[in-house]
Amino acid sequence: MKNRFIASFFIAVLFAALVFSCRVHAQEAPQRIEIVAQRFRYSPNEITLKKGMPVILAITSNDVNHGMKFKELDLDIKIKKHATVEAPFTPEKTGTFVGQCSVFCGSGHGSMKITFHVTE
Amino acid sequence: MRRLLQFVMMILVLPPCGCKVSAPGNFERRVMVGIKHDFTVRNKSGKNPLPSTAETFAAGKEAFGHYCIACHGLDGQNTGVPFAEHMSPPLPSLASAEVQSYTDGQLKWIIDNGIAPSGMPASRGTLSDDEIWSIVHFLRHLPPAGSLGEPEMYSH
Repeated sequence: MKNRFIASFFIAVLFAALVFSCRVHAQEAPQRIEIVAQRFRYSPNEITLKKGMPVILAITSNDVNHGMKFKELDLDIKIKKHATVEAPFTPEKTGTFVGQCSVFCGSGHGSMKITFHVTE
Repeated sequence: MRRLLQFVMMILVLPPCGCKVSAPGNFERRVMVGIKHDFTVRNKSGKNPLPSTAETFAAGKEAFGHYCIACHGLDGQNTGVPFAEHMSPPLPSLASAEVQSYTDGQLKWIIDNGIAPSGMPASRGTLSDDEIWSIVHFLRHLPPAGSLGEPEMYSH
């Protein structure tokens, strides 16, 4: 009787731990946002994020080296040509922020921009 | 009135120049410098929004290195540029009084829009506003002539 009680207790604890860990995992899994960079645009070029909500920015270059810099968000990501970089990011303030390619990529480099809208 | 004055000055200056590349005379040079400083190059009151820091200088030096060095050299003073003296007008040293007497806003305007008639291209859209303002900062703190060597493209 005592052994059955102990076994049931451990099974219950294991089950609770499993359920809890799944919940925690589900809550913390950051959203993956895929962005393609190529001369001289990002696609998509407007993204809405939530303040305090972590995301993974998965940026792929389809051609040459690129960058993505948001001065106000203290974010500067470099992307090698024909490669993908995954950058974790958590916006800490709300507003509209314009990012800019930070690696010179040719004649339209100065107009290669992307906008983040960070909401509450 | 300003446009008319510019037109008259052009008429006076252009015929003696023709289309052959040659060094401008003193009169032509002085007239063109005056026209650019006082009439054609705008944004005289523009202020550089970037702080004067080592980071801004480094960013300006890097942005200048994208392609400005092809004509102006690594030091902005034409070091190693083989055609600098064979253009009309010749490439000015960016450390010269002629260039340094432009305001920050005018230097930004020149990089944005280029200068005609000359080989100076318009860089708006090719460089971002921040990059251009950082270049203006670099121009105000150019290194000694020759101290950075010459562009790699001319040393092969």
